Amino acid sequence: MKKYVLIVGVRLLSVCLGILLIQSCESSERVDFSTQIKPILNNKCITCHGGIKKNAGFSLLFEEEAFADTESGKPAIIRGDASGSELIRRIKENDLELRMPYEKPKLSDAEIELLTRWIDQGAEWGEHWAYSLPDKVEPPVFSQEASFTSISSKKFVQNSIDNFVAARLESEQLTPNAPAEKNTIARRVALDLTGLPPNSKIFNAFVSGDLSYENLIDSLLSDQSYGEKWASWWLDMARYSDTKGYEKDQGRSIYEYRDWVIKALNRDMPYDQFTVEQLAGDLLPEPSVDQLIATAFHRNTMNNDEGGTDDEEYRVASVIDRVNTTFEVWQSTTMGCVQCHSHPYDPFKHKEYYNLMAFFDNTRDEDMPSEAPVLKFYSPEQQQTVDRINAWVAQYGSKKTTKQYQDFLLYNEPVYNSHHLKDIQNGSYDDHASTVLWDEGTARFENVSSERATALYLKYNAGISGTTITFRKNSSQGEILGQTRINKTKGSIIRKIPFQKVDEKFDLYIETNNDGVAKEVNIINLYWVALLDELPGKEKYGYASINNSLLQVLNSHTPTVPIMIENPDHMKRTTQVFERGSWLTKTDTVLPNTPKTLNAWNDDWPKNRLGLSQWIVSKNNPLTARTLVNRVWHQIFGRGLVATIEDIGSQSEPPSHPALLDWMALRLMNEHNWSIKSLIKEIVMSGTYRQSSENNPELYQKDPNNELYARGPRIRLSAEQIRDQALAVSGLLSSKMYGHGVMPPQPEGIWQTVYSNAKWIESKGEDRYRRAVYTYMKRTSPYPSFMSFDGGSREVCSIRRTVTNTPLQALVTLNDPVYLEASHELAKAMQVSENPEENISLGYEKATYTKITPVKLEALRELYENSLEEFKNENTNEPFFHLEKKPSAELAALTIVANAIMNLDEFLTKA
Amino acid sequence: MKDNLESLLKEYLQRDAQSTTRRHFIKNCAQGVGGLALSSIFMGCDPLVSPKKKTTMTFSERDLNPLATLAPPFSPKVKSVIYLHMAGAPSQLEMFDHKPELLKLDGQDCPQSLLEGKKFAFIKGTPKLLGPQAKFKQEGESGNWVSNFMPHFKKVVDDVAFLKAVHTDQFNHGPAQLFMHTGSARLGRPSIGAWATYGLGSENQNLPGFVVLTSGGNTPDAGKSVWGSGFLPSVYQGVQCRSKGDPVLYLEDPEGVSRNLKKNTIEAINTINKAEYAKYADPEILARINQYEMAYRMQIAVPEVMNINDEPETIKQMYGVEPGEESFANNCLLARKLVEDGVRFVQLFDWGWDTHGNIREGSIDLGLRNKCREIDRPITALILDLKQRGLLDETLIVWGGEFGRTPMQENRGNKKMAYKGRDHHGDAFTMWMAGGGIKKGASHGKTDDIGFSGIEGRVSVHDVHATILHLLGFDHEQFTYQFQGRPFRLTDVEGEVIKEILA
Repeated sequence: MKKYVLIVGVRLLSVCLGILLIQSCESSERVDFSTQIKPILNNKCITCHGGIKKNAGFSLLFEEEAFADTESGKPAIIRGDASGSELIRRIKENDLELRMPYEKPKLSDAEIELLTRWIDQGAEWGEHWAYSLPDKVEPPVFSQEASFTSISSKKFVQNSIDNFVAARLESEQLTPNAPAEKNTIARRVALDLTGLPPNSKIFNAFVSGDLSYENLIDSLLSDQSYGEKWASWWLDMARYSDTKGYEKDQGRSIYEYRDWVIKALNRDMPYDQFTVEQLAGDLLPEPSVDQLIATAFHRNTMNNDEGGTDDEEYRVASVIDRVNTTFEVWQSTTMGCVQCHSHPYDPFKHKEYYNLMAFFDNTRDEDMPSEAPVLKFYSPEQQQTVDRINAWVAQYGSKKTTKQYQDFLLYNEPVYNSHHLKDIQNGSYDDHASTVLWDEGTARFENVSSERATALYLKYNAGISGTTITFRKNSSQGEILGQTRINKTKGSIIRKIPFQKVDEKFDLYIETNNDGVAKEVNIINLYWVALLDELPGKEKYGYASINNSLLQVLNSHTPTVPIMIENPDHMKRTTQVFERGSWLTKTDTVLPNTPKTLNAWNDDWPKNRLGLSQWIVSKNNPLTARTLVNRVWHQIFGRGLVATIEDIGSQSEPPSHPALLDWMALRLMNEHNWSIKSLIKEIVMSGTYRQSSENNPELYQKDPNNELYARGPRIRLSAEQIRDQALAVSGLLSSKMYGHGVMPPQPEGIWQTVYSNAKWIESKGEDRYRRAVYTYMKRTSPYPSFMSFDGGSREVCSIRRTVTNTPLQALVTLNDPVYLEASHELAKAMQVSENPEENISLGYEKATYTKITPVKLEALRELYENSLEEFKNENTNEPFFHLEKKPSAELAALTIVANAIMNLDEFLTKA
Repeated sequence: MKDNLESLLKEYLQRDAQSTTRRHFIKNCAQGVGGLALSSIFMGCDPLVSPKKKTTMTFSERDLNPLATLAPPFSPKVKSVIYLHMAGAPSQLEMFDHKPELLKLDGQDCPQSLLEGKKFAFIKGTPKLLGPQAKFKQEGESGNWVSNFMPHFKKVVDDVAFLKAVHTDQFNHGPAQLFMHTGSARLGRPSIGAWATYGLGSENQNLPGFVVLTSGGNTPDAGKSVWGSGFLPSVYQGVQCRSKGDPVLYLEDPEGVSRNLKKNTIEAINTINKAEYAKYADPEILARINQYEMAYRMQIAVPEVMNINDEPETIKQMYGVEPGEESFANNCLLARKLVEDGVRFVQLFDWGWDTHGNIREGSIDLGLRNKCREIDRPITALILDLKQRGLLDETLIVWGGEFGRTPMQENRGNKKMAYKGRDHHGDAFTMWMAGGGIKKGASHGKTDDIGFSGIEGRVSVHDVHATILHLLGFDHEQFTYQFQGRPFRLTDVEGEVIKEILA
């Protein structure tokens, strides 16, 4: 018996060995779905068998679809049986009518072999790396082998980042550059951290050795200009602008949000908190004013005031923009296409888009010209009154009433806007702002829930006195719930009238009457009504005064900022799937939910924007930390570890250093506790960053995009940096922070927006010289020189500015009066000696932080001399550079030289 | 002013033959224009260097010069496009779409069946039908209909192909203009001119490849995004050339800086940049050297091409130009000069076509007639002028608005309006094309008796785009740009070439 078992065992063993032998001969390696199979499916199959088209009922987007029965009644892939799988048969087919990919070149033998082996091995479906949590990896430890000796001898390794980079360099047999010179690295890191060249004090201290590199970084990170620099990066994604966009493109007061971003970055607010406050600050318990301002992130959507547009259409457009932007900013995922159909490549289903939309579909904003809801900023005196009213309500009213009044005073919500009025008779909706009613005008708000309100607030404007407005329950025959007389007003006002309690949902029926006017005469413009509890404490001493104060502050005009406010439960919208993305064709009702492919939902989270933001910053989310690390890396190196910084998913480029990406992502969450400054510091402390960016044709050939980091970054500066640097080196830059957008000089006639009398009014004094981040941003007509240097129009979320190199850029820095003024100021500072060469050298050094070489000095000296000769021969009254008084020939010639210096590639580039 | 365009043309041709034309313009080369010392190793301008030799560099010419000319994948019918957009949306019912039945129904209530499920920008309740306010005649050998609002146009009616049943799903100006120019009503997509310039580069390295000219006092409702580059590199966006101030922003040298001084400046910059290249081997530096040279040449070439004063008097009269002003006529003449000099895409926007009837200028009888008068002569002249220069065969002219107008009279606020007007209407409107590859005198598509909907040969905005790309030598389904992990195209997932109007 035992013997028998043994024989069988031996036989089995030999069979196994045989299989192993055969397999090893035929490349028995296990096929990896994610890296070997998915790319073939995505590139060759999924266009016709994916999220958009499912030809022959076959799709390769999701596992369950790939193995399901196709239209033929059989699955196309049979696990473990490649030869029995239709998929393999069809890719090998000789009949062109049957061969897949249809009407495309045949797959390569290697691809066919891979697919065959994968199916024979059981066709194990895998998850794309981007949707799995980052791997816990240790930085590679390297031996002291030959090639590493040179790496170590160059003092390349400064922190763990370099271990990852060195490992890849070693495998590619490349040696990193030597560290950059001190002056070069100081300029580079200052531009990267603060957007400005270093100030002379800090620069000299560092170059002389009094300040260590780490201390240099710490002081740059603690400089206020750090927040201004990195805000530009964030504001592109937030689509921040000082106008509303679309046709009329009227101004929008939202600079408080821009300032919030600068302050949050300077305080190094942890990224998880930074995220939650912007996406859902209003839903935090007792949100602070700052947390409410943060929610303006999603009020940067455009607002359409064009005549004849449907507010609901553009409200929906904003909600869609919020879904798309949230996923682009935090998840490196393009959700836009899922609006119409399942994602063509990534595992997101059509319906999941609307699950996400349901999170955003319940805010109070409704594409109103007023941009309501807006947060009011009261003056200190007004605030005292507001506090007194709130204290009164708290003393005499219920908790519910207290909350109602606090909110209503802060942002005038919730209200029923007049574009919801139905069945308007003798009147009409007056395009966006209000409903106009005439004598015998009627209209109604459907399905109102008054929450047993006892006061009705209404906002209106009346050009005529003697109108009666009556509010009834349900219809013209219904009980009168409130009634008041309307007299002529100066502009629009907010009034309060008593209101009868109603327990159930009803239609609020409105009548207007005025016997003293002819037909079709506008007697009232009604903007909105709000149903609240009556101000409590009616019988108490001081009521009349509080009541007066209440109406006074409600009618006060204050600075504002648009914010996100959630609908109360009784006003909640239901979200439906849009068939093929059209908001007019609604189908199934959906509830808020997150895509299945990503991290699981935690039931402790509320099913609203707050929960969604917690889901995003959960350590189980595979994309949030990777996205941030990748984008910060891109800001510094000009290239992401995943080069497609917009997209980390099945169509993205594979990471150049996958382990480094994961290591940094985990470190950001677990060790840096989401500190952006710590992340940046770690990157710029690395030897990888600190290398010289010098290059040679061989290295360029081998690694044109600097994907391997055998040299330091060399990138043209951004639109903002180019302006700020010119102002900084010429001494013109103002350090004033925050506030309204400013209007530095721009050519005449740039703003020509229809139906708008907005004007570019050139700023005076130091406001002409503010940092670029404070320049007034008009969407339909952005600041022209920023546009030339690839700044965007901020209409939609922009993750990347593609860097271009054009003649129009040369014209800006050569001829724009802003740059002319800067070169003249620089020239004045250069005029220190009788010897022009000294002056030129000084100017060059001030601008580039580098000592001039003889070749360059010669070129500039020649330019100086030619200019001097020309100016000496000229009439001195001839105007020069838009200056009031023509400078001496020497200074004019130096100005020409300074202008040339400010146009050098090395000046416009961070190297 | 002489009214006979043909006789003006004849007069011009005679004079042109007498004096040698000063067409000395050198399209691609720097020599002659200032003669920079470093002159273009890149542009293939050195006659001693054959074009093939310059490819010894390891990076493509596109890296150095993103506007370098590229051949399209298929043989193109045209080299350039002049796109005439009447911003505000012209009324097809007073210009090209002849509807005698509508005249009979003038003043009657619009049938409810037409209103059901429809959304209008301003029309409320039941509007009344409004008969055509112009008189129509069949013109030319084609016998296509043209109204008396366009008296000159009949001379070229046999050169154009009409699309009578174009439709769009957008009925507000901003989104509809975006859709018409970028293929999407939402922001973020490149405009058709940007696509063309990206795909083909520019024939003239001294001028922008994509030029925008505006008239009518306002830029289009949708703002600069209608000539934006969307996700394409910003170098492909349209460059607005202005009639007042610098034709291109910052083109003019600063006060007190002579051409010679500017030349010295650029030479100094480029000498130093070359030294920088030796150290960093970064091709961006070479590109910058090239861009500075190009900027220097543009400073001469742009004012030259934008100057219409030196055009012969007969030509000026033929177009009806008003030198020094911003006018559609000037822009038409400029468009000819620009395509003649190899500009790829010229986009004209004329504002003021929104004829609701709320003000006199915006009335369908008076205001529209004036607007037609402003364009009739210049457009006719443009077609004749291109033809006599042999350029019409290599140029495509496209004419249209962002949508059409309702057969009903507008009744904004449910009231009778001060003037006769029509609301926005996307169901059916007229566009036309003329030039290379276009079937002359064709008319494709038909609307119902009152011009409300297309009943035959309906074409979409995507179809129009597919056709333009086809004529430029592209298959619109294959012409893509990879962005956010997927290939994008101008026509999204739709569009068919309108074969019926192709020669």
